[in-house]
Amino acid sequence: MLKLNNLSKFYRTDEVETVALNAVNIDIEQGEFVAIMGPSGCGKSTLLNVIGMLDQPSEGDYFFMDENVASYGEQKLSQIRKQNIGFIFQNFNLIDELSVAENIELALLYHDISAKERRQRVEHIMDKVGIAHRAKHRPSQLSGGQQQRVAVARAVVGDQSLILADEPTGNLDSVHGQEVMEMLQSLNNEGTTIVMVTHSAAHADYARRTINLFDGYVVTQSMRAAS
Amino acid sequence: MYGNYIKLALRNMAKNRLYAFINVVGLAIGLSVFLFGMVLASYERDHDSMFSQRDRIFTAGAKFSDAAEIGVLETNSIYTAMGPLLQEELGEDSLVARTVTREFLLTVGSSNDSYYHTVTFADPEFSELFDFTYLSGDNSALADPLGLVISESTALKYFGRADVTGETLTLDHEHDLVIKAVIEDIPSDSHFNSNLLTERDARLFAALDTLADIRDFNIDEDWGNLSMGDMTYMLLPEGRTQQWLYDQVNAVYQRHSPEGQIEFIPEVKVRPLTEDNTMIWDAIGIPAITSVQLLGLLVLIIACVNYTNLATAQSLGRAREVGLRKTFGASKGQLLLQFLVESLTTAALSMLLALACLELIVPLFNAWSSKVLTINYLDIFPFLIATTTIVGIAAGAYPAYMITRAAPIDSLHNSMLRGNKGGLFRSFMIGVQFTISVFMLASVMVMYFQNKQVEQSANIFPKDNVIVLERVGVDAIKARHETLRNQLMNLPGVEAMTYLSQVPFNQSNSASGVALEPGDEASEILMNRIRVDEGFLETLNIPLLKGRALTRDIAGDVMEAESEVVNVLLNQTGARSLGFDDPLDAVGQSFFEILGEQSRAEGLTATQFIVVGLLPDQNFLGLHNKIKPTAFMIQPPWLNNAAIRISGDNMVQTITEVERVWDEVIADYPIQQRFLDDVFNEIFIVYETMNRVVAGFALIALSLALIGLFGLAAFMAQRRTREIGIRKVLGARVDQIARLLVWQFSIPVLWSLSVAMPLAYAASGLYLNFFDERITMLPLIISGAALGALVTAWLIVSVHAVRIAMSSPIGALRYE
Repeated sequence: MLKLNNLSKFYRTDEVETVALNAVNIDIEQGEFVAIMGPSGCGKSTLLNVIGMLDQPSEGDYFFMDENVASYGEQKLSQIRKQNIGFIFQNFNLIDELSVAENIELALLYHDISAKERRQRVEHIMDKVGIAHRAKHRPSQLSGGQQQRVAVARAVVGDQSLILADEPTGNLDSVHGQEVMEMLQSLNNEGTTIVMVTHSAAHADYARRTINLFDGYVVTQSMRAAS
Repeated sequence: MYGNYIKLALRNMAKNRLYAFINVVGLAIGLSVFLFGMVLASYERDHDSMFSQRDRIFTAGAKFSDAAEIGVLETNSIYTAMGPLLQEELGEDSLVARTVTREFLLTVGSSNDSYYHTVTFADPEFSELFDFTYLSGDNSALADPLGLVISESTALKYFGRADVTGETLTLDHEHDLVIKAVIEDIPSDSHFNSNLLTERDARLFAALDTLADIRDFNIDEDWGNLSMGDMTYMLLPEGRTQQWLYDQVNAVYQRHSPEGQIEFIPEVKVRPLTEDNTMIWDAIGIPAITSVQLLGLLVLIIACVNYTNLATAQSLGRAREVGLRKTFGASKGQLLLQFLVESLTTAALSMLLALACLELIVPLFNAWSSKVLTINYLDIFPFLIATTTIVGIAAGAYPAYMITRAAPIDSLHNSMLRGNKGGLFRSFMIGVQFTISVFMLASVMVMYFQNKQVEQSANIFPKDNVIVLERVGVDAIKARHETLRNQLMNLPGVEAMTYLSQVPFNQSNSASGVALEPGDEASEILMNRIRVDEGFLETLNIPLLKGRALTRDIAGDVMEAESEVVNVLLNQTGARSLGFDDPLDAVGQSFFEILGEQSRAEGLTATQFIVVGLLPDQNFLGLHNKIKPTAFMIQPPWLNNAAIRISGDNMVQTITEVERVWDEVIADYPIQQRFLDDVFNEIFIVYETMNRVVAGFALIALSLALIGLFGLAAFMAQRRTREIGIRKVLGARVDQIARLLVWQFSIPVLWSLSVAMPLAYAASGLYLNFFDERITMLPLIISGAALGALVTAWLIVSVHAVRIAMSSPIGALRYE
């Protein structure tokens, strides 16, 4: 599904050049569930941003669905992104002024989908993640776990094939954290590719493969035996 | 404590320079405009303070009814016949003095130097009412029928020195008057000098009886002439009120005015002397001075709203500071005070800047306007302090309240940065600003297009090619009219020429009652008379719809004193008013003068007018007057002006030739010439100036509103950074994001249009009502102004919207 080839990312300030990703080679297949781990500042989030096309690599190639997108402009990336990729953030990133249903609908708003179909799909996904009874509430009226469920719903409502999750459980207690992980796993079982950054070894265990980053290098990649 | 607050306020300004700059400069502009409006208004309303009896001096002026159709609502003069009657009624404790101004040719001493100069003829009581400073002679000078009072600068102009007592000035080569007193020049801020249309700084006074002698008419019996500027002053007796005076004056008027007069002049207005300077605006029905004050206030409101909006937005970014202060025990009151001190500091700085601006503006304005505005800081100090305080509190109250009411824990979490707190208020404020700006802008455009219309309709006369010779009605010149005409017509550049009683755009009404049948008073109508000469139609390019032009070769065309039948030209309105459904039918028909009681008693015969030609309806009286029933006739005694149409080629040479011919034929009188265009501009410039003034206010108001919008848009865009990031991650395009931000500001702008447009429509009426010929596409113009404001607002907001929309979403999402 995606392939990073000697991909590097530098940040330059006036005097210092910081290497966030150093000649990274990663290959992720369709339907995989990959966890990215590593200490703070190792480049996890940068990697996720590059994969999510929110950030462009400084060097190297990035093949997404066999297309080298490394040199694509914002307009084209945006197009690919909204068709294929859903995002889940540690801080949920829901819009406070919009209701739960509207937050989810947002992901469809920028696609060419009729209002009627949008409503149907939003209702369907809300049922699926068990948030339908909160449809008219504001994000600030929900618990953290509920907010993250809304975020998950938003990430997949557009039938995205790849979900990028940046510490999706970081702000949640263990019970709610587990809930979200189970939701991701069931999505994965239905065929969605998931790439997740996490600090929690326990949550990383939900993934089939774990990539360990340290100072911008891929240190190890370990596979978990199929259960 | 307060020192600390002020220090903090200044530091905060230094930290947020752009917003501090917008705030201070915006408020300073608002204050400058507001203060200037106040200074100007108080200047205009506080004239004549140099006269010790100012507050007891009142003037009488005729108020016209709609039936008078005179184009103005009132004038500051009343019939001179009222003078003696008033003096009798008001008694010994009062003084009544009339003045009549007329222009004369002055010959200086025994020299041949002659100049046209306006002379003010006044009753002897005039010198008692107004205490001039006498450099030589005293206030008995006007009691001498041959005496003259001259101002210092006038003396210097004509004699090159000030000690001119005993010198002679001759009026119209005939009447020798002797200078009995020299007075110091009357200051500019006196009603004697500040006339809207003319500059009257050089003064010459003579006895009113002298004018009666020269012009051979009985001033004390004159119930016919009303000329703006011919004043009747009255001294209010001690212990009496203005109302008492009004009652006395109107009792006299009701008792003595000639039959039928009340219909046109229902009452006589009594005004304090201080109002004379501004009465012209009441007369034309446009409250200019009040408008200037109001516009200044509106601009100040816009500036305050700017501050409020920006401060509200900005204070949200300081929530953490407020939270900390609260956590450490600051009370709500203390915080409120802190923020108010900040806004007061801003207001004070702005006030200082505004005063500095005023110091620059006032001298420039004085030089441009020949007014002498001054700012007396001692007098207005309390006003300035009050203004600063009110502006500081009005602008700062809401932001201070907003920021200090939040719970400390919310403030610390910066959760205020989210959400839309105060959003409705900000929208409302933007709406208020745009309501004001669009209202002003629309008014400016309505005025502009109306003025264009006036200018365009004035072009029916070839005003750029017509030279007007004025003051050719003196007997000595009249005798040479034929010679002058013949010689001028021989000049190659002269295409046509006529003598006439008044040229187009002259605001002079001379009307009398006529009817289709002799003596048919029931169907009497008022017919304006304009006296012309042959060549009239040709000179002014007036087409003849039917019949023939007038010529001196046909005896019936020239009206002599003993004429009982005279041929005239009639305009269409005249024909219709007489009862002809088709004006063309009037040609060949007659109508008759309706004689007054007195004339009938004297056994005079009503003149019969035979219509020999029909003219189209043209606004001969110019600009704002209704087109009135008008008859044009050749009546030589009335021909005081000449109009010469010259060809467009070699105009300079033609004018030189005209002057040469004049000097040959009429060597003893200087030529008084100007283009017809200048006659038009004399009044038109007032409308243009009004338009420019309002345009200036509108420009400032709109700029302030746009600056505020710019600042606010920057803040809102910043505040919505996270939301925008989310939307971008979800696939929103740049234009979609930009549209979102622009739309947020469009809502208040749109509703403000719905308020401003009807307001502008109503206010435009104030201006348009003054004109007879009005623009018809009013809604279109107002919509145009609204659209212009809307598009400008969009452009301003788009600048931020596009910038924010194009930035990378990553930072936004990590924002916490």
